[in-house]
Amino acid sequence: MFVRHAKDLCPQLVIVPYNFEAYEEVADQFYDILHRHCRKVQLFDSVIYFQDCFFVSVVIKNRLELHDKPVAVCHSDNPKGTAEISSANYPARAYGVKAGMFVRHAKDLCPQLVIVPYNFEAYEEVADQFYDILHRHCRKVQALSCDEAFLDVSDLSDVEPEFLASTIRNEILETTGCSASAGIGGTMLMARLATRVAKPSGQLYISAEKVEDFLDQLPVGTLPGVGSVLKEKLVKQNIQTCGQLRLISKDSLQKDFGVKTGEMLWSYSRGLDLRSVTAVQESKSIGAEVNWGVRFRDQQDVQHFLQCLCKEVSLRLQGCEMIGRTFTLKIKKRKKDAEEPTKYMGYGDCDNMTRSITVPAATDDVEVLQRISKNLFGSFCLDVKEVRGVGLQVSKLDSAYLSNKGSRTLKSWLSSAPASVHIEQDDHVFSAAVRENSDYTRHANDGVSRLRESESAESSIQSGDTNSSLPPMCHLDMEVLENLPPELLSELDGTYGGKLYELIEKKRGKRKINSSSPHIFLDGTAAGIKELKSISVKTHGLSTSGEKEYKEPFVPHSSIARTSNQGTIEMTDLMPSSLSQVDASVLQELPEELRADVLGAYATHRRQQSSSDVPMETCKKQDEEPIDIKGIENEIGFSCRSLWFGDPPLWTEKFRVSGNCTLEFFSEIYYKVAQSRPMLSPVLQQAISEIGIFHDASANDFDEAIYDVCELLKQYIKLKVEGDIEEIYLCFRLLKRLAARSQLFLQAYEIMSPFIQASISEHYGGSLSIS
Amino acid sequence: MNRKDDNQSGEVARTVVEFLEVAITMIVSLKGFYPSAAFERRRYMNVVVQRARHPELRDYIHSAASGLLPFIEKGLVERVAVIFFSEDNVPVERFIFKLTINTSCAGLVEESQLEFALRSFLIKLSVSKSLVKPLPQNCRWDVTAYLRSLPEVGSSKEGELWIPTDTKQWQKPPVITPVKSLNSEPLCLQLYLEHPNFSEPQPCHAP
Repeated sequence: MFVRHAKDLCPQLVIVPYNFEAYEEVADQFYDILHRHCRKVQLFDSVIYFQDCFFVSVVIKNRLELHDKPVAVCHSDNPKGTAEISSANYPARAYGVKAGMFVRHAKDLCPQLVIVPYNFEAYEEVADQFYDILHRHCRKVQALSCDEAFLDVSDLSDVEPEFLASTIRNEILETTGCSASAGIGGTMLMARLATRVAKPSGQLYISAEKVEDFLDQLPVGTLPGVGSVLKEKLVKQNIQTCGQLRLISKDSLQKDFGVKTGEMLWSYSRGLDLRSVTAVQESKSIGAEVNWGVRFRDQQDVQHFLQCLCKEVSLRLQGCEMIGRTFTLKIKKRKKDAEEPTKYMGYGDCDNMTRSITVPAATDDVEVLQRISKNLFGSFCLDVKEVRGVGLQVSKLDSAYLSNKGSRTLKSWLSSAPASVHIEQDDHVFSAAVRENSDYTRHANDGVSRLRESESAESSIQSGDTNSSLPPMCHLDMEVLENLPPELLSELDGTYGGKLYELIEKKRGKRKINSSSPHIFLDGTAAGIKELKSISVKTHGLSTSGEKEYKEPFVPHSSIARTSNQGTIEMTDLMPSSLSQVDASVLQELPEELRADVLGAYATHRRQQSSSDVPMETCKKQDEEPIDIKGIENEIGFSCRSLWFGDPPLWTEKFRVSGNCTLEFFSEIYYKVAQSRPMLSPVLQQAISEIGIFHDASANDFDEAIYDVCELLKQYIKLKVEGDIEEIYLCFRLLKRLAARSQLFLQAYEIMSPFIQASISEHYGGSLSIS
Repeated sequence: MNRKDDNQSGEVARTVVEFLEVAITMIVSLKGFYPSAAFERRRYMNVVVQRARHPELRDYIHSAASGLLPFIEKGLVERVAVIFFSEDNVPVERFIFKLTINTSCAGLVEESQLEFALRSFLIKLSVSKSLVKPLPQNCRWDVTAYLRSLPEVGSSKEGELWIPTDTKQWQKPPVITPVKSLNSEPLCLQLYLEHPNFSEPQPCHAP
């Protein structure tokens, strides 16, 4: 209004000048307050939406003669066929030609229509350029498809949205040769609606004030999310424009159409849309679906189809490096009275049915998928001839890289080892398998970082054999095999293609001869890999349980497997190569003499190995009759007389018969506390909870008891200091608490505290933090 | 050494490297060095862990961990430390992974047991926030490995990502707080914190 006019209306009007600084300040405060209360604050005029009839534009950009002619994209030109138009340009649209229409119909509407085929390479190139341009101008880009995107420009305060939109449109035209349209608005909804009007090759800006006017006459069917069904319902209630929709209350809308839809209708009719432009979206599900040409004759057809479908889905999962837990099978089934579909081999009038199943362990394994989809399909109980479409979706996705690589099934772990062993030996068989599998991983998409790509390429060799889960024959334990009951052996032999018996014969023969060549088993192994059958868990269970059965008490079993290739089996061959491998619990089960024998053998065993002692070897054996058991035992970490030797450890017996009530009590606790290995901390913990205040200072053997306890602790610390500082820390703190209730333990604590710290200092270069 | 052992110990080394990557990421996220939005939750061995979203951060940790693989395979790595330094480049806190792989009995490794043990490690780590002191301003952090003996020069490409360093040490022995010790043949892995001794001389600040 002119000032003049205003003063006429209101003579006492006071005119004040602008004060932009103040506005800025208040506006900042305003938005500050808003932002503090709510994260989703939308500045108006913040969203731009780009789109244009992409496929056609791209294809005709180099064909000047077609620029003003009606053109449509379709794979086939034949008007007698049932091919559908996928995209039509504006001149064509003027004739009523639309996407989805049959070519035949389109040609009826527009006889001079030019049909051009697809050109996917060109689409890719243009789409890349398109997104390139968008990203250069704005950081928040949400892609909707290859030619549609939302931009959130609320951050770019120094740029006018309209100006930005036209800049980008010009750039797109120059770079790609295709025009683009833009709609600008305060919300994603408004931007999108604006684009509809702006097309072709134009832009429209709907500012806040113009929203209502714009929406007033807009038909409800144009709102995104309002399809034909919903539109019909609204028309029945006499609602045809958004202006009319606005008159209805939110409550009543929600009652009629449901909470979410009602809310959407209410908001959209007012131009409200709380969705924000999200840049990166992770796919929530991965899958594949086929709805054309699906005609099954019998179960066999179906099974074959499902297998191919699962292979494709598995490939896609691997390509995105994802694994999933929920599998959904979707079937299109012909409706009862449906006629033949108009489109040749189309799906026609159908009902959609889905069944899902969730498994606990995420996977991308094709066999698992096949098994699951087979079951799911079966659960529909359908006549296969009625099926017109099948799809499989995997959801509850997780990254394959970070999860579960360590906990693949046992069979895949076993098969991963031979993959790299045999690579030099049997190139042509194995490299074929490797090549096949590394092709899978090459599908890794752009979202994956470079390093990860190389990681997965590496691991493809590792886990390339997930399908070939048979351990190669040379890794099988011969002893176990030979001793298997005949039926099991023949079954196992079956899975190895009959080569197992041969192998056993060979091995038996070889044992007499000193042969160390593992290459003999090559042909057997190669055959094993070639005849890949899916392994049953049963066979596996066999080998492992077989091993357990044959674990002989006084010789660690694994060494037999390792040394069986070599010549005659001697005592030294049966022994593990070093003392640290001796299973202490096994050793202490042995009777005294046997134990001494074994330990004694170590004395000679070791001396044979050590080169400096070689000349003295034979004499040493005689001199060292009272063998240095103590020395050896210290190596093992405890002595036969160590308090911690045995299970239950020796100290429990010693304390029990000590005659001192504290010690006896302590020993009793050990038996109460169930544990897999002898540990001190649970005993201390239990002692604290059981003990009240122990008045044990008066015992006669107080000093001796203290000594015993300290000895116990010292030995324990020596045992644990190198490998289990956590346990020591725990015991230290528990001991301190116990010391508050027992004189005996108080004394022990005072003595032991410096010892513990000294020990830690020696091994870790620091001291434990005890408050 | 038997070829089979080689593979098993290679397998163990790879598991350790992967685990270290996850653990280092968790430590950095625990300390609140970066805003929590820099990490996203992921599953690893059926435990919820943090994974870095920023590619450079992720790459740094990943290349640090995988760069150690050749050294771990050879049994050269004694400790791996995640160290946080104050402004004056003095360490304020160190997370030490002490590592022993018994290569000779690697053949006995029970895959599921190892996984179980590592999982409990991660669980302990993820709830140990109370052990962790808040960081002072303007810190930086890095990963340092301590080797038992110097590796041969130019042994592998990955190894070259690691460079010899000599960071400032504390003058007094540190105070140790153990977090978790894992003993599951053939791997012995321990994690503990080191903080400067109370009587550690503070660096003087220029007025």
